[in-house]
Formats: sequence, C-alpha cells, structure tokens
Amino acid sequence: MIRNYIKVALRNLRRNKMYAALNVAGLGIGIACGLLIFMIIKYETSFDNFHRNSKQIYRIGTSFKGESGMWYSAGVCFPAAEALRMDFPQLEKVAGIFKRGQTIVSTGDAADAQRKKFNETNVYFAEPSFFEMFNFNWLAGKPQTALAEPGSIAITREIAEKYFGNWKFAMGQTLTFNNKDIYKINGVIEDVPVNTDFPLELVASYASLKNTGVSGNLNDWVSTYGSASVFVRLPESMTPEKFSKDLVSFSKRHKPAEYLNILVAQPLADIHFNSDFGNFNNRTFSKSLITAITLIGIFLIVIACVNFINLSTAQAVNRSKEVGVRKVMGSSRKQLAFQFISETAIITVFAALLAVILAINSLPLINILLEIKLSIASIPLSLLLTFLVGLIILVTLFSGVYPALIVSRFNPITALKNTMNAKAVGGLSLRRTLVILQFAIAHLLIIATLVVVGQTDYFHTASMGFTKAAILNVPVPDDSISRTKLQFLRNEFLKNPDIQGVAFSYNSPADNDTWNSDFRFDHATKSTNFSATLKWAEPDFFKVYNMEFVAARPYAASDTVAGYVVNETLLKKLGIRDPNLAIGKEINLWGERKANITGVVKDFNSTSLREPIGPVLMGAWKDLYQLASVHISPGKTKEAMDFIENTWNKTFPDYVYRYEFLDKKIDGFYRQENQLSSLYKLFAGIAIFISCLGLYGLVSFMAVQRVKEVGIRKVLGASVGNIIYLFCRELTILILVAFAIAAPVAWYFMHNWLQDFSYRIPLSASIFLVSIAGSLAIAWITVGYRSIKAAIINPVKSLRTE
Amino acid sequence: MLLELKNIFKWVTVGGTRTFILKDVNLKVNEGDFISVMGPSGSGKSSLLNVIGMLDDFDEGEYHFLHESVHKMKEKQRSALYKQYIGFVFQAYHLIDELTVYENIETPLIYQDIKSSERKAMVADMLDRFQIVGKKDLFPTQLSGGQQQLVGIARALIGKPRLILADEPTGNLNSKQGEEIMELFKQLNKEGVTIIQVTHSEKNAEYGSRIIHLLDGRVEKDGL
Repeated sequence: MIRNYIKVALRNLRRNKMYAALNVAGLGIGIACGLLIFMIIKYETSFDNFHRNSKQIYRIGTSFKGESGMWYSAGVCFPAAEALRMDFPQLEKVAGIFKRGQTIVSTGDAADAQRKKFNETNVYFAEPSFFEMFNFNWLAGKPQTALAEPGSIAITREIAEKYFGNWKFAMGQTLTFNNKDIYKINGVIEDVPVNTDFPLELVASYASLKNTGVSGNLNDWVSTYGSASVFVRLPESMTPEKFSKDLVSFSKRHKPAEYLNILVAQPLADIHFNSDFGNFNNRTFSKSLITAITLIGIFLIVIACVNFINLSTAQAVNRSKEVGVRKVMGSSRKQLAFQFISETAIITVFAALLAVILAINSLPLINILLEIKLSIASIPLSLLLTFLVGLIILVTLFSGVYPALIVSRFNPITALKNTMNAKAVGGLSLRRTLVILQFAIAHLLIIATLVVVGQTDYFHTASMGFTKAAILNVPVPDDSISRTKLQFLRNEFLKNPDIQGVAFSYNSPADNDTWNSDFRFDHATKSTNFSATLKWAEPDFFKVYNMEFVAARPYAASDTVAGYVVNETLLKKLGIRDPNLAIGKEINLWGERKANITGVVKDFNSTSLREPIGPVLMGAWKDLYQLASVHISPGKTKEAMDFIENTWNKTFPDYVYRYEFLDKKIDGFYRQENQLSSLYKLFAGIAIFISCLGLYGLVSFMAVQRVKEVGIRKVLGASVGNIIYLFCRELTILILVAFAIAAPVAWYFMHNWLQDFSYRIPLSASIFLVSIAGSLAIAWITVGYRSIKAAIINPVKSLRTE
Repeated sequence: MLLELKNIFKWVTVGGTRTFILKDVNLKVNEGDFISVMGPSGSGKSSLLNVIGMLDDFDEGEYHFLHESVHKMKEKQRSALYKQYIGFVFQAYHLIDELTVYENIETPLIYQDIKSSERKAMVADMLDRFQIVGKKDLFPTQLSGGQQQLVGIARALIGKPRLILADEPTGNLNSKQGEEIMELFKQLNKEGVTIIQVTHSEKNAEYGSRIIHLLDGRVEKDGL
C-alpha cells in the first residue's frame, strides 16, 4: 500500500511542479535555518566541555563596586595564585595563566642570519598545572618539566611549522620576545581545537614572568590584571557556594583594606557566555543570544510549516476527485489520512535534502558573519542525523496532520461532483489565522532587524566627541631605546604633506584598554570616591583628534606630568559647575604625580557607546607612550600609508610594523551587535521570503476558489482593477491585524534590548511605519501577479460548468 | 432478496421549508435483477443510487442489504459493507488521473487488504477479459472515453461485487461506444451480477429487466 502511496505522491509532485517547488523550497529553507541554528548552538555550547572534570573547574575573577553597580574582571592580582594554593590545600589543582599582548617573536638569536620575525598575539605564561587541568595534547615534552624553569616555552604545532617548517625541528630551538628575552622551546603542543576559549599558541613558563614588564607586580595585591587568570579545580566535596564564601575572607585577609575587591569564582561553563568577564578569545556568545536564535529557528520552521498547511489545503481542492474515488473504492478515512501524511513526509524528506545542501553551502557565510569556525565535522554526525530525522517527523506531523484530516473528511459525493469549496476545506478562518501568525512573526523579525541595524548604524555614525575618520593608529615599541626615537619619527612623518598631525599617547581616545584610578583634588586629605579614566598623551593629541575645550587650554608639552586636562563629567562629579573655576586647582595622583588643571575638555566617549561617559583625567607621561596617532589628509590614504610604513620600518628595523584605523578599532567594540544585526538581516529576509511563498499559495487557492465569482463579477462589469482590489483587500486586513499583534511585542523586546546601551536610537514610529509599509508592499507585489492572472481570465471559460 | 428500501425519505431544509429529494421510496431488488432508473433531471435518480450505494444518508425509512439493517449502521460498517459487495460506475468515469490503467483497477483490492501476488493475478485476469492488456501502463488521459469507461467497469468488477451501481454510464459516450458498454452490462448480468443503472435513454433502459420511473422523488412506475 505504501508503495502505491509513494508512487501517487511522486506523480502528484511531478504533475504539480509549481506547488511542489513552493513547498519544497519553503520547507527546505525553513529546515536549513533550523539545522544551521542547531549547529551554531551545539558549537557554541561545546566550548571547553571536553576537559576532564570540567564541571569542577572555576576561574577566579575580581569583582569591583562601581557607581552603576558591580563590574567584573576575569583577572586577579598576581600573588593570588600562590596564595590560593597555600590557603586552600584541599583544592585539587590551582593554575595561573597570564596572557601577554602583542609580542614580536624572533627565531634564533641576533647572530642568526636566517632570523625570522613574527608578530604574535596569542602569547601566554602558564603554570605546568594548567595542562594538568585542561586537556591539551602534547606532541613533545611534558608540561611538568617543559614549563618548570624560567626561560622555557612550549609552542603549538602550527606555530612550530610556521617557524621551522616541521614541528619535529622545534625542540631545543630558541625564541626571542621583543628582541630581549630568550626562551628555549621545551615542548610542542597539538593545535588547540576550535571550540576552546584558550587560543594557545606560545606558552612560556609562568616562572619567566619575573623577566618581563610585570615583574614588579608579582607581589602586588592591589593591581588587578585583566589577563592574569587563575583556574582552580574544586574537590567534589566542596560546593562552589562554600568556596565563594571562603574567597571573601581570603580577599579580606590578603588585600589592603582601601583596595578591597572581592575575588569571585566563575564556573568554566560560564566563560564562553558571560560578557561581564570575557575570555582569552575576546568573543562571548551570550545566553540571551542563544535564546534569540533558538526562537528565530523555531519561528522560521513554524512559518515554513504554516506555509505548507496553507498550500496543501489549497491544493486539496484539486485532489477532491481522487479522494472521492478512493472513498467510493472503499478507502477508509484512516487510510486516506495516512496517504496524505505520507505525501507530506515525502515532501519533507525532499525539503530536508535541500536543507542539508543549503546548510552546508551557507556554512562559510555563517562562519564569516559570526566569526566562528563551524564545520560539519564539529558536530557528531549521529547527533545531526537524529536532529534531522526528529525535525522531519515533527514537521511532517505539524504540517501534514491537519490537511490530511481535512481531506479525508471530504464527502465522496460532493468531492466527486468537484463542488468542493473553501468551507469544505476547513474554512478560510483557520488559514487566515495561520497567515496572521506568519505575518506577525515576520513583522516581529522586521522590526527587530530595523532596530538592531539602526543601533549598529548609530554606533558607526554617532559623534563620540572626537574625530575618528582618517586617523591611523600605529603602535610604537615601548622600550627605552625606541622611545628616544619618537621625536625623530614624528619629524619624519610630518615631512609628508599628506600627514596633517602626529601625536603619541598611551592609548586612543576610545579604547578597550582602560586605566582607572582615584586621586586627591585640591589638597584634599582623602581620595575622591570615584575613579577617573587615565589617559596619557602629548598635547598634540587634542589637535589630532579635534577635541574641543570648554575652558582654557591643553597642558604644555613635557616628558612627565606638568598639568592635567579633565573632562566635564569629572568636574560634575566633583560638584564644580563652572569649568573656569577648576583651572589652576591641583590634582594629586598617588601622592607622586601632582599638577594643576590647565584646561577642561568637552565630554567624549572614552569607551564604547554602551557605557555612559565617565570622568577622564589626561596628562603627559612620555615613558608610557606606545601608540602613534597619525592624521592623514582625505583622499591620500594609500600613499600616506605606504610612507608611514616605510618610515616606521626605517626607524625601528628590529620590530614588526602594525596599524589599525581608529574607526575600524571602534567598530570592533560592537562585534556582538554587528553579528546580531547580520543574523537578523539574514533570518528576517528568509522569514519574509517564506511568508511570501505562503501568501502566493494562499492567493492561488483563493483564485481557484473564486474563479466562478470572478467570472460573474466580470460579466456584471467589474474591471481588472476591481478584481485585484478584491484579492488585496482581505490580505491587507490580515497583514494589519498581524501588525497590531506584533508591534507591541516587538516594542517591548526591542525597548528592553536598547536599554543595554547608554547611547541609543529612539524607538521611533518610523521604524514601525517602515515595517508595515514594507510588508504591505511586498505582499501586494506577491499577490498582484496571481490576482491579475485571475482577473484577466475570460469569464466565458470560468463560467462553463462542464 | 439482495436489498430492500422501505419508506425512504430524504430532504433538504432551505429557509425553513423542506424540499424532498426522495419521498416514500419503496424498492425490492432481487439477485440477478437488471434495473434501469429513469426520470427527468432533478427527479432524484442519482440520490436514489447514492442511497443504495451507501454513499449518502437518508432522513427516514429503513434499508436492508443482505438482511443487514443499513440504517442502523455506523459509517465505518457501511463502508465495509459496500466495499465488499458494491461496485460503482460513473458517467464521468472518475478514474484517478495520477494512476495507470493497471493501478486504477488495482486500487479497490488494495483497500480490501488483498495480497500483492493475488492482486496481480486478479488484475491480469480483468485486463485479459476486457482486452486492454496493451493499455495497462497508459494513464486515463491517454484513453478514449469508451476505453476509460471500460477501465471504470473493470475497476468496479475487480472486487467481485454482487451489485453494480451505474450512474449514466454511457452519458459521456457516443452511441456506438454506449452500445458496447450496454452489451457488456447485459453479459455481466447474465453471469449473475445485479445491476442498477440510471439513464436518460429509453434505448439503454430497454437493456434492463425492470424499469423504475421517478418523478419529484417518488417512484411513479415500477415494472416493465
């Protein structure tokens, strides 16, 4: 019997190619999205779940009490690792790991003629116990011995192959960091998998830290280093709650009272999702984003199924004769229903095949959009197949059962007379409800997309209080010899007429890297109860970035602090209304950097637009400068950039040149929002597309149903326009109802979403207007074609009964 | 006796007034009968046939088929009954367009849960008997009207029914094709199959052994 059904189903599909194509395409796209989203979620939730006893592993971070609530750092102060080991002998493992910023790595030593230089970002210092806690394979050497001594290092296979051609040649070779510190390679690590937030490449021994720039802070309980992490593995007998309590007393015991920030334990499983802490990958995937895309996935599949129901009930009218005959031949309702469900199953299987092809082909696009390395191989095949089969069954039942019940209910006599009408096929009301559901979802996605895109556009275009276009940020080496060349470099740069200005500074006006401190104002005995963001820069910095002053002027050029510039917010915090009154007042930083305020700069955003503007304190401090900001004339970018690179390389031949455009860098603040925006654009587009397929199907159905009505109307004198109006009117009402349902929901969710940003677009009526106008326009175009076709049929044909 | 209708009424209510489709119809059909039902359009011929075929309900009266009370049955039992004993032939043939000649004839057997090997043999017999073996893989639209009706009759006969109900079986055919079909019915009747046909044509009605005239849902004349 089943063979007979399959045969009929295939012939039916072949006969009604249009219908089959609409169904397979709609369902296929829906299932493809479901599949992709499933893969993305599986991938994102697989991060670092492969380590032994991963549930017992915690990262120690630091909590800070800020003015707008608590904020967190993934790092600790350096002595914490050793102290934890001493104070909590019951901890199974304790491991410190420190991530160092950009590092110039050269092979061999200075005498080596074939010396190669590389600019590396994933450079770490780790204790051997780190590798006892985390499962990363070693190809050569053992962590216990390889990372025991200062000056030893392990590198990954990829790095080893990059440096030496074959990883087997790497053992025993030497590497030099920043032309200073020499490391001997004692181990080779297998490349870390893609689903880890430890993108290890070069891992030096923790003991080597005493030879680096942070050596002075290794016993400092005050400074928290965001990239100095400590991981612990709790014994099974210890609950995280108990440990967190212990950490409070631990912090109080060790940290000076005036700098008491409590250490907190964050589960390893939370590291990939919690943007409050962040991770070494600099990429988190929030739980709410997972919820959002899960919902989108479900939405898209529902839309596709609704489509299917609409199309197949519409199609059922054309099959009424077959149903009648089969009933007269003795088919039971159950058998007929089963036949139609198995047809749905066949279509769904085709759709699933299409979906797999679509999903595989769109993986590269998804990988670019989300900056991930997802591949079919990242998910176990059995899991994928189970999901796919489950989805096929679910979709078949969801979209097949209703049409099957309707069709099998047909009365054989009416069915044979071919007088089936809309009422007999389950009533239009259900189909109308389904279309409303479909369009409500589409509206929801459109509005969400418009808001997210609007907000990300705002991030790009909003004024941050300084010029960010045409400014090149070029890091300069921070050793003392290189610093003596800064003046020379500036003069060389300025010889080029296309370069309008150069300024050296600690960082850029808006930067991820922030340095905050409290200070004493105007000879006060106590420090301020807030901390200001410190920015160290030459006075030219204000000119290069075109920053406005509301009072007086920048400090004079000098190598060390000779005057301070503060921003308006800082004055507000101090309770000073008139900026001119602040000029000449002393600011005392740590009791050693004392100087008077020389000017007040207009407020600018020193971090992303998510955050409100905070107090900023600026001064000159040449020893900290590590960045050149170069202002290039518009239109001369290419030439100027070549010139800058050449000049830089001539000035610092031992280093590797890097650059970044400031606007690109600032864009990087909004990576997650940009990704969300592209995801929404993609999926909302698909939702609209599938909905339109459904609309087309529905209108085709109505057209078939109303052929006679249209014929009579035309005989009575209706014009083509009248007929089109007839079809569009109902649709317009449906879309408006859908909008009325979707708009408040969308407003609620997007309003909440926008609250995350201190600087945000208003949730204006125009967004909603665009959504409704857009969907109406698209719907009219979709329907227009079919209704014109229905309207121009010669009534003589449509009214013929035989 | 094959079947008996007692005081059958069937009506529709439109705007509060009852319009009778069948009005107090009494009918006895014996095995081996060949009955022609005649009457003007709207006289209830097709409705009577549908009631006999158990495809349609009636509002009042009794219907006994092989001593079973059809009016007391549920839809499922009725369908099991007609599946076993009744074959239908239609004016518009009503073949399934998506199925070949072979498959169309096979369909009733599928619903009677007959094994595939047995089905093959039965369909082959039927194709043989109607001399349409060469057309078994064609689709209905590739056949002439007469041939399609032949397939329709073959399909009606495949389940070895005791009764064949034919609703204007020659209505869409030219006279020569019609004649052939009627000869076929006569032949079948001789072999023992009971036939009830609805027809407009006096000439075709003559093939029957008994003619029933309907007018406005009433049996006006029953006999030759």
